[in-house]
Amino acid sequence: MKFRNFIKTVPMKLYILLAIIVLFAFFSNDFGLVDIQKTAIILAAAIDKTENGYSLTAQIAVPKGSDRTTGGTSSVEIEAEGATVSDCVTRIYSKTGWVPKFVFCNLILLGEDAAEEDVMRSLNYFLRNEYMPDSCLLAVSEGKAGEMLSSQSALDDASSLAITKLFSDAAVKSGKVLPTTLREFSIGCFGVSESSHLPFIRSATQKGEQSGAGGSGGGNTGEEEQKIYSAEETAIFSRGKMVALLPREQTFAYSLLLGKVFSGTFTAKDGEEPVTLTVLENKGGVSLKFEPAPVVKLSLNLLVRLCCRGTSAPIDDVVSDHVPDNVLENAESVLSGYISDLFATVKQSGSDLFFLKRTLYRSSLKKYALWKDSFLPSLRADITAEVKTKK
Amino acid sequence: MNKISSRQLYFFLACVAPVGKLVYLPSLLVSSAKNDLLFPAALQYLVQAGAIFCVLLLAKRGMNFFELLENTFGRIAASILIGIFSLFLFYSALLPLLEQKLFVQSAFYDTLPSLVAFSPFFLFAVYLCAKPLSSMGRVWDIIAPLAIAGYIGIMLLSVGTADFGALRPVGAAGGSGFWKGTMSAMSWFFDAALLLPLLGKFQYKKGMAAKGALAYLLGGAAVIFFLATFYGIFAELSQNQLFAFTKTSKYFAGITVLGRIDYLFIFTLALVMAFYCALPIQAGIDCIVQAAGPKKYLRPALGIVLCALYFALTDLLDYRFTEVVRAISGTVVWIFPVFCLLVPVLCLLLRRRRREIS
Repeated sequence: MKFRNFIKTVPMKLYILLAIIVLFAFFSNDFGLVDIQKTAIILAAAIDKTENGYSLTAQIAVPKGSDRTTGGTSSVEIEAEGATVSDCVTRIYSKTGWVPKFVFCNLILLGEDAAEEDVMRSLNYFLRNEYMPDSCLLAVSEGKAGEMLSSQSALDDASSLAITKLFSDAAVKSGKVLPTTLREFSIGCFGVSESSHLPFIRSATQKGEQSGAGGSGGGNTGEEEQKIYSAEETAIFSRGKMVALLPREQTFAYSLLLGKVFSGTFTAKDGEEPVTLTVLENKGGVSLKFEPAPVVKLSLNLLVRLCCRGTSAPIDDVVSDHVPDNVLENAESVLSGYISDLFATVKQSGSDLFFLKRTLYRSSLKKYALWKDSFLPSLRADITAEVKTKK
Repeated sequence: MNKISSRQLYFFLACVAPVGKLVYLPSLLVSSAKNDLLFPAALQYLVQAGAIFCVLLLAKRGMNFFELLENTFGRIAASILIGIFSLFLFYSALLPLLEQKLFVQSAFYDTLPSLVAFSPFFLFAVYLCAKPLSSMGRVWDIIAPLAIAGYIGIMLLSVGTADFGALRPVGAAGGSGFWKGTMSAMSWFFDAALLLPLLGKFQYKKGMAAKGALAYLLGGAAVIFFLATFYGIFAELSQNQLFAFTKTSKYFAGITVLGRIDYLFIFTLALVMAFYCALPIQAGIDCIVQAAGPKKYLRPALGIVLCALYFALTDLLDYRFTEVVRAISGTVVWIFPVFCLLVPVLCLLLRRRRREIS
């Protein structure tokens, strides 16, 4: 009865009016006042270290004219140098007369030089910028990031679009790439572990005929080299500096330990013949124990099926996805090897990629105070990899 | 005269009062209490709930705030005291207005000049100030469900991203961090003081004091859950996230496909906040009206003058927000416990029976 009285007292007209106001406000966000003729919508930024500071290359989306009706995104790369990243942004503004707008920036590429010094210096501007989305992807580029961003993709209109496609959900589930956003990277670096990781981008020249890929910067006619990109390696960081590079196998092992892989593949051996297995279920775990010396337990529990054999097989074998025991044993040994190599790389680099300091800190302040400076160098790994197949 | 019902009052305490704590307060708490940010907030809520309990007990006496003071101190002293109290309410309105302005400017209209983006609020506030304070009861009936919808929407989109493990270890900030956090948060907890001008506008019912305090704690639980989620998402970066409730929901996986649907909930909460920000000004004006007696143009005239003043102040202090926060929640933060905790408790000592007027 009380509820009914309450409903009666609420004037529906006011509700409708309020709803209209909210919807109007929602659909008119900014009232569309982004003047495309005066604003540089930055799709991606590349930062390199120079002698006097930094070089910033901004990939700016350009509205396509009616003469180019291929669709997609045209872009132009503008480079500026300055003592700080902010200086570079100001110079881009003065060079072009366009107000650089980072709201749509979805990728920041760091050159190797910039990554080897404290990257938080390069990223300081973006962390302070209220209009910079911290869900923006970060990556380290082989060589100069500016050159990578200015290169012509063989597959897409703009290099940044081609690179961000490497970080799709499907790619993450394959375990071959480990994308990181500005927020995730910064949390890792500012946390007690002071460590993080970024995908390392390499480019390769596309062989064969070089026809235009849709007109980045306008009508490519094959004079410029076209590139394809890969991000299978992972740069690992300690105290903001790139300290090591994980090869593709170790990147895959780290993805497995994080439990991110579904439908990813790896190759084991059946005797001397290669056999590719698909991961159907991935349980990974990293835990820290003191027995009394510090031990990190790196454990994997996979359910796999046979994806492909490197040799011809009878039809009875083709219709079955059952994995023979000897292949499972070999798979366990292969994965244990990957994890062992990964642990060795991480330990040697001094990075806390497994966030063990953070685990210790969260579990006990006393233990953390006791062990924080000494446990990483003396850390031992207890690796277990269990691979099963469907019964 | 319109009366505020107990339900409307509970709605205010449980649903409207918490929204003011979702903008700048979370990052401010992190700056001093780090991952222990929940504890200063919880303490503030407990203490404030106690003060609200005291204010609601005063409602048993059936007098408004001015009458309570007059009954004990006489008309002149009561007028001076209520004048000082209304000055406090006007003072307490400044911080929410400034944070609201910066949040609107930053989250919604970053390409519009700030003067234009927020000025309609003051027209709206003048209108609210011209209305009797008791009319807010009906408003709370309407905006409380909106606040609930906005909060639930934002939380549904945010919780999945949070790593609640970031809140561990408990006590990492130590006693000093906890104390600093508690002190800096004080300027956001003046809800008990907002209830004093409402005395006489609602009728005391059995158990109202306890229910009111519980409703406030319920709102507090929602704020604390938001704070936990906020820290779970941003961890060490939380300090840098100035407008907390606009930030947490944007990492929801569906947003990449659907666009910023979370803005629907953000706008809903922003609408509720607009009412909450205007409330201290309305309450302050009501105190003056209680002392001066009902005069036809007093409310709108005061509303126009005060809103013009706030308009000028918010424009002048646009780039001095951090200095204002440092001053209000640092140097002179003691003003808040005096008016929001001490005054409600001391009011219980006021004369209970009506004095015979000769």
